[in-house]
Amino acid sequence: MVIHYKCPNCGSDMEFDAVSGMLSCGSCGRKDNIEDFSEEFITTTFSEDEAKQYNCNNCGAVIITEADTTATNCSFCGAGVVLGDRLSGDLAPAKVIPFTISKEEAMAAFRKWCRNGRLTPKGFMTADRVKGITGLYVPFWLYDLDSKADVKAVGTRVRTYTRGNYIYTEKKFYDVYRDIDLSYVKVPVDASEKLDDTLMDKLEPYDYQKFKDFKTPYLAGYIAEKYNFSDEELFSRVKTKVQPYIDSYIRSTISGYSSVNYKSKNIRTKKTKAHYVLLPVWMVYYDFDKQEHTFAMNGQTGKIVGKPPISLGKVASWFGGIAAAAFVTLKIISYAVGGVLW
Amino acid sequence: MSRRFLTLSILFTSLFIFTSFSLQVVEASSKQYIYDSAELLSEEQVMELEGSIKEFGEKQETDFIIHTTNDTSGKSIKTYMGDFYDEHAFGYDQPKGNTILLTVSVDPTKREVFLAGFERGEEYLDNERIELVLDKITPHLSDKNFYQAFQQAISTSNDYMEYRPGVNPESVLLKTWFQLVVALAVGGIIVGTMVYNSGGRVTVTSRTYFNENNTRVNSKRDMFVNKTVTKRRKPSNNNKSRGGRGGGGGITGGGSSFSGGGRSF
Repeated sequence: MVIHYKCPNCGSDMEFDAVSGMLSCGSCGRKDNIEDFSEEFITTTFSEDEAKQYNCNNCGAVIITEADTTATNCSFCGAGVVLGDRLSGDLAPAKVIPFTISKEEAMAAFRKWCRNGRLTPKGFMTADRVKGITGLYVPFWLYDLDSKADVKAVGTRVRTYTRGNYIYTEKKFYDVYRDIDLSYVKVPVDASEKLDDTLMDKLEPYDYQKFKDFKTPYLAGYIAEKYNFSDEELFSRVKTKVQPYIDSYIRSTISGYSSVNYKSKNIRTKKTKAHYVLLPVWMVYYDFDKQEHTFAMNGQTGKIVGKPPISLGKVASWFGGIAAAAFVTLKIISYAVGGVLW
Repeated sequence: MSRRFLTLSILFTSLFIFTSFSLQVVEASSKQYIYDSAELLSEEQVMELEGSIKEFGEKQETDFIIHTTNDTSGKSIKTYMGDFYDEHAFGYDQPKGNTILLTVSVDPTKREVFLAGFERGEEYLDNERIELVLDKITPHLSDKNFYQAFQQAISTSNDYMEYRPGVNPESVLLKTWFQLVVALAVGGIIVGTMVYNSGGRVTVTSRTYFNENNTRVNSKRDMFVNKTVTKRRKPSNNNKSRGGRGGGGGITGGGSSFSGGGRSF
């Protein structure tokens, strides 16, 4: 089941427009509000392996897709198509954050980011070899978690005082117990196999105020994927993700000790809800020095992540400059205080 | 010929007068810096030391006097030193003026050293700095390397007096190697963070997904179990130097105030 949006005015292909947040026609400029769009495409259920082959509604060519793709462009005529049956039933996302940064804005932001690269080689900063930029809706699970923590620890308070010729060190030991309920909401974990987890983690945070109920037109003109891992499969990953948050909260409840030695920390985390959502990411592919570098940009906030090439020369000159400046400063201070330069 | 003789003789006479005059000037300005009653130094060593002392004097506008004896005539070395200063009224600028006075007694029963600073010397070579100088020279004195000890005393005093009064000249913060290490560390840390963050930073914190409404401490207990008390002796000040310490400055019999410090070796 292929969904394709044809402009009611002129018959051109319609795509989602990040600037206006509407479905818009590139030819005549017609804009349609997505909220008012018919929901029939999502509610239609197909069994997943029913459709082996998709044909473009626009030109009839076979649409070549990967198994995970839920939205793409027809490789023949370029029309944005949405594969409706891959977005229905269990695979229907609850919410979506639409792109707010358009392709042009993303490109400009990326070029600007490259210019600001203080450690990147000169040739990289010009950003003239960007191979491609792709707007991608990445599947995420948002977990609501309830945790219960039972913590046993020994807290030590140290006090020193002087009596006569002796210095006394007094150590008081306390038996510390805490029973804590913790709650975290909408912790995102990327559910796509292809994308690097650490890269996706760095893209956070997204502004959850801008969540929209999922409608297929948001995907028109972009690439979208369905999840590869269910919420059950990724539960362990979200647990490791909130672990440091829980630890820091526990630490904040145990105060007034010079040192705390944990005897046992029993944390049980259960999922109260998992939402399947699509979050917008611009992927930028950049060829530099015979290597492809991949960057990801948060399609909502514009935050850019990804390892840029590092110029050793620039690292050395920054290091030398900072060290020299620090040395001169120290010398000036020591001259001001001690009156001697060497 | 007589005319020629006349010219020559005038020339010679004037030359003679001039040199004797200038010799007198030199003699008048050349003070005695080294009073080696205990005869610890050879002729050349005295010459060498005087050279160093003259250099020191020009730089610090302070006279450096070395006085050795093998008999303090029953007085404490501090009093003995004070009396010697009063008697000679040392001083670079004026009698009883800027002076560093190093007294070494090799009395067979009591081998002692006392270093004192007067006027500018008192200000720029205070008790703490004197202790630092003594730390450096006492080992040489114990080894009977008197010449080396005196050279060391002159050069170290010269180094220390370059620093503003009140500053510890041996402070690690003023050492070039330390400043270099700190500067390199600062550069390394800053550039290291830049490299580390070049790929983007994690900007979510433990508060980002935190739900305040359902987070609470249900029960807590902080129960005192036991305590231990350990005691140790207060570190006393007199275990720092090996020899006995005739410490601190004072005022000479003649009323001159000085900074000072002494050791036995």
